[in-house]
Amino acid sequence: MLMTDRKFCLDRILKTPAIVWLALMLTLPSGARAELLIRITEGASSAIPIAVVPFAESGSMPAGDKVSSVVQSDLTMSGEFRPLEPSRMLSLPSERSEVYFRDWRLLGQRYVLVGQLTRNGDRVQARYELFDVNQEKRVLGETAAAPAGNVRSLAHHISDRVYEAITGVEGVFSTKLAYITVSGQGDQTRYRLQVSDVDGKRAKIRLESREPILSPAWSPDGKKLAYVSFETGKPVIFVHELATGERQKVSDLPGLNSAPAWSADGRSLLMTLSRDGNAEIYSKDLASGKLSRLTNHWAIDTEAAWDHSDRGIYFTSDRSGGPQIYHMERPGAEPRRITFGSRYNARPRPSPTGDYVYYVHQRDRSFHIARMNLENGEESVITRTGSDESPSVSPNGRLLIYATRQEGEGVLTVVSADGGAAYSLPASEGEVREPAWGPVTR
Amino acid sequence: MKGHKRDILSSGKAPLKSPVAVSVALHLLVFGVALAGWSWSTPPEPEPRSISARLISPEPRPSPVVEEKDQPDKDRERKQAEAQERQRVQEEKARKEAEKKAQEEAQRREEERRRQEAQAQELAEKQAREREAARQKAEAEAKERERQKAEEERRKQEEVKRRAEEEKRRQEEQRRKEAAEQERREEEARKKEAEKKRLEAERRLREQQLEALAEQASQDREAEARKQQEAAAARAREAQMLSESEKYQALIRERLSQAWYPPSSATENMTARLQITLLPTGELVGVKLISGSGNTAFDNSALSAVRSLNRYPIPENRDTFERYFRQFTIEFNPKKMRR
Repeated sequence: MLMTDRKFCLDRILKTPAIVWLALMLTLPSGARAELLIRITEGASSAIPIAVVPFAESGSMPAGDKVSSVVQSDLTMSGEFRPLEPSRMLSLPSERSEVYFRDWRLLGQRYVLVGQLTRNGDRVQARYELFDVNQEKRVLGETAAAPAGNVRSLAHHISDRVYEAITGVEGVFSTKLAYITVSGQGDQTRYRLQVSDVDGKRAKIRLESREPILSPAWSPDGKKLAYVSFETGKPVIFVHELATGERQKVSDLPGLNSAPAWSADGRSLLMTLSRDGNAEIYSKDLASGKLSRLTNHWAIDTEAAWDHSDRGIYFTSDRSGGPQIYHMERPGAEPRRITFGSRYNARPRPSPTGDYVYYVHQRDRSFHIARMNLENGEESVITRTGSDESPSVSPNGRLLIYATRQEGEGVLTVVSADGGAAYSLPASEGEVREPAWGPVTR
Repeated sequence: MKGHKRDILSSGKAPLKSPVAVSVALHLLVFGVALAGWSWSTPPEPEPRSISARLISPEPRPSPVVEEKDQPDKDRERKQAEAQERQRVQEEKARKEAEKKAQEEAQRREEERRRQEAQAQELAEKQAREREAARQKAEAEAKERERQKAEEERRKQEEVKRRAEEEKRRQEEQRRKEAAEQERREEEARKKEAEKKRLEAERRLREQQLEALAEQASQDREAEARKQQEAAAARAREAQMLSESEKYQALIRERLSQAWYPPSSATENMTARLQITLLPTGELVGVKLISGSGNTAFDNSALSAVRSLNRYPIPENRDTFERYFRQFTIEFNPKKMRR
C-alpha cells in the first residue's frame, strides 16, 4: 500500500508536466476571443404596443368617430398591434415637443402616434407623427386631408401609413369589402349586395333583390363587381360598375353561370358554365365575349381563381368523388390535386404572394378555413369557428375574411392569415354571406 | 555379512522395535552363519601320495679303440693286417658280446631282487606314512577344531566388542550429529538474525530514501498543485466567466426576444446586425447598425428592440463584463416567422 502510494506519487510527478501543458494550452486561446455574438431568432408573439394619442383638433369637427379611434380599431383588427387605452395615457401630446419618451417607455409602448386635425373649409387636414419610443425617433411625419364628411377615409389612410411604416407591409385599411346580406323571410326575403369599409362601417347597398345574389368578385381596379344574380330566375353573371351603378350581363347561357373571378388585368372573367350539361370552367374575354374552355371532365369543376402568376388556376372538382382542390398550371395542363386532408375541400383562394392557398375544409363535421403551404404541402386550419365559408384574402396577404355563424347569425370575421388573431365585424341585420375583399386602390 | 545386515536394516518392511531385538537377531544370525561356514569349509582332503621314483640308467658302452697304422704304403700288408685285425676284432666283439650278455643277465637278476626289496620297503614305508598321516590329520583336525572354537569365541567377543563399539560409535555419531545439528541451527539462527538485521537496515535505508523522495515529491506536488490550482483557477475563472457569460447571453437573448417585434414584412433571410456598447451598469451607451437587412421596418424593429431594454442583464463580475459585454454584436434573424 505504502509502496503503491509512493509509486503513484512518482508516477504523478512524471505525468504532471503534460497536465500543465494541457492547462496552458487550454488557457491560452481564450485570450484572443472574437467579439460576443448573440443571435435573436424569435420575436415576441404578442402584438406591438402602440399608443394612438387622440388627435388635437382645431376648428369644428364632424360628429361621429374620431380619427384616432378609427386608427386604433384598424390597427387592432390587423392583429399585429395592441393599442393603448387612451385612459391609461399619462399625457396627450399632439406634437414632438410634447412627447416624453420616458413616460411611453414606462407604459411599455413601442410607438406613439400623435397628430392634429385642422378644419380647412369643407376639408379636414391631418398632421400626424409616429415616434419610435425606444429609439426616440420619428418614424413618420405627414399631412393628409379629406372631405369633412370622409374623415374615416382619412383615418384609414393614416392607419395604412402607420401600418406600413412599422411593418413594412402595405396597409389594407382603405380597401373595401363586398358581401351579401339576407334579411326577411318568405316574400319579404331580400338579398342585398353591399360594399363597406374594411371595418364593416359605411356599408352601402349596391343591389337589392328578391332572388339570391352570389359570389361577388372585385375587379382588380376596385371599380367593378362581378356577381351571380338569380333575378331573372336563373343564375346569370353580371358586372356592376360601382361608381355609376351600371350593370352588365356577362354570361347568361343556358344552365349554370356562376363563380366569376377576375383576371389580374381585369380583361377577362373565369366562370363556371354548364351549357354542355356539365359544370366546366371557362375564361371569358370581356371585350370580345370570347369563351375559352379550361376544363373538360365529366365531374363538376367550379370555383376557379387565377393563381398569383396569372397563368394557372385553382378550382374545385369532385372528379375524385368529393370536392377537392386542384391546380391547373396552365390552360390545358393536367390538373393536379393538392388537397388530401379530408373529404371536403372547396373554394380555393390563393394568397397574393403565391405561397398559400386558403379553402373551406371539412373536419369533424364542421367547416373551417384551412390554408396550405404550397411549398411543403402543409395544411393548417386557421379558424376556430365552425360553419366557416367563403374565405377571401386581403390584398397584402396578411388578413383573411370569411363568413361564419355566431349565435345563429351569419357574421363576417377577419383573422390574421396565420390564424393568430380574429376580429369580428359588427353584425348587420340579418345574415351576412360571401365576403369579398377589395383591392388596394390609390 | 555387513551387507546382509544392512539389507535387513534397510528393508524397512518390519522395522525392528528395539536395538536389543536387533542385537539378538544379529547374534543369532552371526552364530548360525558361522556354524554353517565351518561345516562347509572342511571338505575331505585327499590322501597325499608320496611316490619315490628312481631312474636307473644302463651303463655306458665303452668306446671302441681304433689302432692307428702308420704307413698306408704297404697296402697289402696293411690289408692283410687289416683283415687279420678285422677278424680279431670280430672275435673280440663276439666274445665281448657274450660277456656282456652274461653280465646283463646278472645285472637284471640283481635288479629284480633290488626291485622286490624296494617294493617291500616301499609298502612298509607307505603304511607307516599312512599311519603317520592319519595321526597327523586327526591331530590337525583336533587342532583345527580347537582353533575354530577359539576363533569363534574370539569372533563372538569381537562381535560383542564391535557391536559395543559400533553402538558407542553410533551414539557418538548421534551426539556429533546432534551437536552439528545444534551448531547448524544456531548458525542458521545467527544467519537469520544477521539477514534480518541486514534487511531491516536495508528497509530503513530504503524507507529513508523513499521518505526523502516522498518529501521531494510532496514538495513538487505541492508546487505542481499550486501551479495547477492557479491554472485551474484561471480556467475556472475563464469557465465561470464563460458560463456566466452564457447565462447572461441567454438572459439578454430572452429579453430581446420578448422585446423584438419582427414586422410582418420580415422573412427568414433577413438579418440585421447591431453592435452594442454597454456601461458596467448594464445601461446602453450606444447601438450601431453594422449591417442592415435591406428592410427599414425590420432594421427599425431590431434597433427598437435593442433600445427597449432599460438595463441589460450583465454579470456582476467586472472581468466577465469587460471581456464579453462591454461591446458585443446582436444578430436579428427570424427563424420562424408567423405568416
